[in-house]
Amino acid sequence: MQALHDEGVELIFGYPGGAALHIYDAIFRQDKIDHILVRHEQGATHAADGYSRATGKPGVVLVTSGPGATNAITGIATAFMDSIPMVVISGQVASHLIGTDAFQETDMIGVSRPIVKHSYTVFDAEEIPKIIKEAFYVATSGRPGPVVIDIPKDMTAPDILFDYSYPDEAIIRSYNPPIDPDQTQIDRAVEAILESKKPVIYAGGGAIASNAEQELFELNKIIDAPVTNTLMGLGIYPASHNRFLGMLGMHGTYQANMAMHNSDLIIAIGARFDDRITNKPSKFAPNAKVIHLDVDHSSVSKIIEANIAVFGQVKNSLKSIKDTLDKKLDLYDSSVLEPWHNQIKEWKSLHGLNYELYKDESDSHPILPQAVVQHVHEITKGDAFVTSDVGQHQMFAAQYYHFDKPRRWINSGGLGTMGFGLPAAMGVKLAFPDDEVVCITGEGSIQMCIQELSTCLQYNLPIKIININNEALGMVKQWQDMNYGGRHSESTYQDSLPDFVKLAESYGHKGIKIEKNSDLKEGLKQAFAMKDKLVFVDVYVDPSEHVYPMQVPNGSLENMFLSKDKQT
Amino acid sequence: MIKRKLILIMENKPGALARVVGLFHQRGYNIETLHVDSVKDLSKYKYIEEKLETTFKENQISRLTIETLVSDNLMRQILRQLNKLIDVIAVSNEETTYLKGVLLDENLL
Repeated sequence: MQALHDEGVELIFGYPGGAALHIYDAIFRQDKIDHILVRHEQGATHAADGYSRATGKPGVVLVTSGPGATNAITGIATAFMDSIPMVVISGQVASHLIGTDAFQETDMIGVSRPIVKHSYTVFDAEEIPKIIKEAFYVATSGRPGPVVIDIPKDMTAPDILFDYSYPDEAIIRSYNPPIDPDQTQIDRAVEAILESKKPVIYAGGGAIASNAEQELFELNKIIDAPVTNTLMGLGIYPASHNRFLGMLGMHGTYQANMAMHNSDLIIAIGARFDDRITNKPSKFAPNAKVIHLDVDHSSVSKIIEANIAVFGQVKNSLKSIKDTLDKKLDLYDSSVLEPWHNQIKEWKSLHGLNYELYKDESDSHPILPQAVVQHVHEITKGDAFVTSDVGQHQMFAAQYYHFDKPRRWINSGGLGTMGFGLPAAMGVKLAFPDDEVVCITGEGSIQMCIQELSTCLQYNLPIKIININNEALGMVKQWQDMNYGGRHSESTYQDSLPDFVKLAESYGHKGIKIEKNSDLKEGLKQAFAMKDKLVFVDVYVDPSEHVYPMQVPNGSLENMFLSKDKQT
Repeated sequence: MIKRKLILIMENKPGALARVVGLFHQRGYNIETLHVDSVKDLSKYKYIEEKLETTFKENQISRLTIETLVSDNLMRQILRQLNKLIDVIAVSNEETTYLKGVLLDENLL
């Protein structure tokens, strides 16, 4: 505990159990670090993850051995896929019992190996300060990620005493993440930018991890290129800026996908060209040169070959590009991009997201899920922290809640973990108690971590839960509609849904049910007016609505379904 | 696909080998042969010690030789993934060496 305090930890999410009891007793006997008792270890990891995404600081989790550790796995995998810094301390059975199939014994290091950046086992109690220092360094540096520390129970026994000192810095001779970029690559990147007539900036979660919003904004003041963000990158460039194209990829905007496909230069910033972005890689942006800025060597040229690779913290790389470009300003005239901007404007006017959706509010129509997000955006003035789960509601939130700041959009992009939204919102609310925190979820996802409503009561966390209820696993159903002849195999359960209002009330919160368009705005306003209460807003929406645009499988970025009956 | 040889120098720590072997499986590569020794004769690795400003002690590092069947592109990806493992100090194939994130155009190992 002392080592965690010395590391600057203020908050731990966890759940006690046999192998962690010595540590829990130490928690009881100190008052510097707050511990949040969740209701399931998955909730602890997602809450720590949400805390980390919103603050940029590493999230800390404490669980016991065996089931405590395995319950944490989904949350660790979620953080790993999205490169979120997290330190997970798991209790382990006593050293002399390891390997004997003792009660609550699991090989946590083995089980978690593929989904951690690194892991440590404590073999000697005196190593604890050094290991904790190293774990935080590894978790937060380079490409961030989760680190597991497995501590056998005897290593935390109160009768072990040693001279404690906390190291000033972690030195790992075999670990040296790149920080500053190589100037030759920067020069090449600037050359390419000077030559380009149709550039696109494509920024992802790595740009947020590196806190590069200012550097990106400053650089694009010069280049004046259109900017698109991945699902993980939303907020790194202000959505209200006229050069912003919206999200790209599977459910990206028409103009963003068209611009990427037809560009002559892609400036990729902390993004990894995953399959939800590229569609079929061999058909991806055929005429584009690629400049790829990343901190991770193995992300570059993994799927799309980079013509120019710039390794380093993307914040520093962006600054170097700007500094170099600054010296060549006489060679650059951003007005050459005018035809390109006009082309993008045309795409936008042809098939941009339908901003007029929510104006159709007569009660003869079911509520549209997009309209719910648009109203939430309006009521929260676009300034809330928004967490989400996974599915249609997640895509609607990403498309229609326009994020102007980074670290406001908190979602499981890589792993796609249902059940993430509510616990993540707890982590955010604990970090920012005075800010509005909204969890946009669906009736499928919310039931995967619903037990955390109890945690919210214990710690008084007035989150607003917007349950976009289409009485089905909407995204699964959409795929079944589009690719499986409308056979809704195991994706519906409308007769067995709980009464969410009563459910929320039984946990001591408020519940509001909205079924008609005419009640939507007022109902949401009421919910947000209850500042000190967690409000569960159960909104029944049109169950037949699909998310569009959607990429046509195995096509290029240009091939999209634009609505149920329109295709590019 | 040709059989290719990789050489790794890594910390001789519990679990380090499992991370290397596990990575091959996770990423869908197959290991044809594998040989591991802890290093007693450190004289060959002076260059690495100088580069990393460290001193190796006997049996403190291991040398792995791995043969695998892969294409050129995949080889590069395997090298980069191995280089990313925290316990791996250096990894090389016939042409290149990654010494803790720094790519060197020669086979040092």
